[in-house]
Amino acid sequence: MRFDTVIIGGGLAGLTAGIALQREGKSTAIISTGQNALHFFSGSFESVVEKNERMIDFFAKAGIPLHYAPGVRLMPLGSFRPSALCLEDTDIFPTAKVGSKVLIVNFMGYHDFFSTFLAEGLEKEGMQCRIRLLDLPELEPLQRSPGGMRSVQMARILDPIWEKFVQEVRLLIKDEDIVVIPQVFGLKDPSTPGLIREDLPVRAIFAGTLPPSVPGIRTQQLLGRNYERLGGTYLKGDHALRALTKDNRIIGVSTKNLDRHYLKADTFILASGSYFSKGLRSNPFEITEPVFDLDVNYSPERSDWYNPKFAADQPYMHYGVKTDENLHAIKGGTVIQNLYAIGSVMGVSHPRFGFGAGLAIRSAFHVTDQIVQESKV
Amino acid sequence: MIKNTHTMNPNEFDVIIIGGGITGAGTQRDCAMRGLKTLLIERSDIATGATGRNHGLLHSGARYAVNDSESAEECIRENRILRKIAAHCIDETGGLFITLPEDDPEYQNTFVESCLRAGIEAEVIDPELARRWEPTVNQNLTGAVKVPDASIDPFRLCAANMLDAKLRGGQVRLHTTVTGFIKEGDTVRGVHTRNAQTGQVNDFYARIIVNAGGVWAQEIAAMAGAQISLYPAKGSLLIFAHRVNKHVINRCRKPSNADILVPGDTVCIVGTTSSRIPLDACDEVAVTPEEVNLLITEGSKLAPVLSSTRILRAYAGVRPLISTDKDDSGRNITRGFVILDHESRDGIKGLVSICGGKLTTYRLMAEKTTDLLCRKLGNEKKCMTAVSPLPGSEEGSYEKVAQKIWETPSTAQKAAAFRMGTRAFRMRSSDRWNDALVCKCEEVSVGEINGAIERMDASTLTDLRRRTRLGMGPCQGEFCACRAAGLLAASHGCIDREREDLNQFLQERWKGNFPIGWGDTLREAEYTQWVYKFVLGL
Repeated sequence: MRFDTVIIGGGLAGLTAGIALQREGKSTAIISTGQNALHFFSGSFESVVEKNERMIDFFAKAGIPLHYAPGVRLMPLGSFRPSALCLEDTDIFPTAKVGSKVLIVNFMGYHDFFSTFLAEGLEKEGMQCRIRLLDLPELEPLQRSPGGMRSVQMARILDPIWEKFVQEVRLLIKDEDIVVIPQVFGLKDPSTPGLIREDLPVRAIFAGTLPPSVPGIRTQQLLGRNYERLGGTYLKGDHALRALTKDNRIIGVSTKNLDRHYLKADTFILASGSYFSKGLRSNPFEITEPVFDLDVNYSPERSDWYNPKFAADQPYMHYGVKTDENLHAIKGGTVIQNLYAIGSVMGVSHPRFGFGAGLAIRSAFHVTDQIVQESKV
Repeated sequence: MIKNTHTMNPNEFDVIIIGGGITGAGTQRDCAMRGLKTLLIERSDIATGATGRNHGLLHSGARYAVNDSESAEECIRENRILRKIAAHCIDETGGLFITLPEDDPEYQNTFVESCLRAGIEAEVIDPELARRWEPTVNQNLTGAVKVPDASIDPFRLCAANMLDAKLRGGQVRLHTTVTGFIKEGDTVRGVHTRNAQTGQVNDFYARIIVNAGGVWAQEIAAMAGAQISLYPAKGSLLIFAHRVNKHVINRCRKPSNADILVPGDTVCIVGTTSSRIPLDACDEVAVTPEEVNLLITEGSKLAPVLSSTRILRAYAGVRPLISTDKDDSGRNITRGFVILDHESRDGIKGLVSICGGKLTTYRLMAEKTTDLLCRKLGNEKKCMTAVSPLPGSEEGSYEKVAQKIWETPSTAQKAAAFRMGTRAFRMRSSDRWNDALVCKCEEVSVGEINGAIERMDASTLTDLRRRTRLGMGPCQGEFCACRAAGLLAASHGCIDREREDLNQFLQERWKGNFPIGWGDTLREAEYTQWVYKFVLGL
């Protein structure tokens, strides 16, 4: 199998790169383990503060409307954080005073949504809060199963009955001008949160839950579908094993499912994420990049890897593969001209590209632009 | 029933016990069973000192048989008693003492003879049989001896003793610090205390006060003007993510570093190291990288698979060893226990200290201490703790308990019966809300968490961890901490306090994780950073 570009990693960075290249008429493949940071995506595009028209347009074409409104958003434990660019169902407000009276609705037996923390956070900002629990009979099978009441399982049941949910919430509203709802809607049908919002007599805020994140999984599904519709080869549930190298260029990459067969391409993009996604691997003595064995910047002294205070910034999270300024990867001190690194495999933050979703998308654009440019020369 | 209570004011007791470790809890239970009105004061939570920071090994005494026959005899006697009275805290694993090619082959004979002399059933078995019984044991072993070691849950044991004392009228004040003694001349009459969570200040009075402060006993005694010389010895241990062994595995040689591997519930624990540390360093002991390396290297000699098994957590405890002399020479250090009557030693009346000892012999320590208290108070009741089962252990095995409650118990229900013993009967009436799992790794349900909050004085996440095993499994409290924080917040109603509690829980978890921060542990740690800092916004 031969492609213009093979991408290792199917998270936000890898999918963005794949879609961008397919839209430019390139043939690409994405090797995806299925486990990536979108599973705990907050819905906010961290570190994007400017009105990035390119991002907004890019996601709109994939059926994911974003909204830009610099302000603050409500966190799942009741605090407010600055945010500018978000998914449609993640709200941003000019200030933390989002209303005067708030009704917080949760489901009976759901412990992954923190209504008391939210109430306290909102009360600190001068709002009055009331918490009410809904007991929908449709959720009973989940309530009876010990690990049943989790975001994704609930979303599967709740999406088709959203109108009934709205009716029940209507009955609970007294004189409130805001209602806060767990973000467990719109897994299969992305329009559900918008429909709920339109149908409620007061403003609805969807507040985050414990992972898995419903908006994150929805985003991954929409991006994946868009990538496949554009003709991309999406190798789900597979992972890259090792690379075939010749004259300091990558020739191919082998994967677990393709046995000894190599995926060949002109260029390769490493978007395999950090430790969590196994893009970086660690043992007591070293931190390595397992597919290409790229150079990783880290301290040889293990005691330097950590700050003993959990709340402090952790040095190990800043370790990642070394690149040149155009994000070509480096191995044994030498730049590999047809291999790029994007996203958090470079470390949690990057001086030019930011961190989180911002890092993933900006670095993906930076690399795909180069690949497209070079192919035109 | 309790005597003389009508004549006492609510802040007056027969006995005040300082220290909520197993010694204090055991002493309170014994006192309560003899009809004394007791108050136990603990500055933090139950079992936060050496009680909760060891292997969780119910010694057969075999380890001490060669060098310390008195301790060995005490251990085997208490071992047999605890199997009866604390069945729900004990996993009857049995133990093996293995000889490796580098060990002195003669030691096995001396070892077995010493065991038999102390009354410990030690049986030499064919190395081949040992390999069959214990497939993960070092296959190069040249000898094996079977002994009646077992695994014991110190948190559960401590909580059960305290619960029984409470059922008999005893009072417990956790998160309460003794700030000073109330003295009249040369007699100690009571204590000044301060609640660490609320800041509330209280005075309590007693006819006699027991100092069971473990490694902090020296500081406590000094506040009353009495002197104790402790020699704190730090021991570090590692918890592995899987239970690789069925039996307790020991090295058949003179006690040394990292030569015991104890299975416990879903995990196993290897340890320990031993190094003397200054008394003022006991509050914050950290495991060093060198200790981690030593524990992995030596532990892998017991079970080679450990070199590639994920480590969940590193932790350290401080043994409260004691010198009975006042000369500070340190020559007379014993692994046994001593009861110090400060009246005869220092001329200070109304204060007794109990120091040293081992988890396995806690009941005997409590019995001897309570005997002394009763002599002083003129109480003639006999000790009954050796024959009276602890709450939860009345029915024997947890399988039996689970079957009595639920006809066909689920894994989660069996786990609950294992942790709570007969107290799991309270869960029978559970509705659909109570069965939901808070902690997936250890299968801890909403009902069990609420039970620990309502009936077992749990007021923080780490309290819950000690009482229910919440967050002790492979994910080390990734999400269950947050879920349980929601339940705690609902019970005490103070969100700020709960947010701080969650921060402290995560800090405590990180403290045990970063010394072993690589591989899956580092993956989990990174995930936690993302979830709590960026997703939840703690």
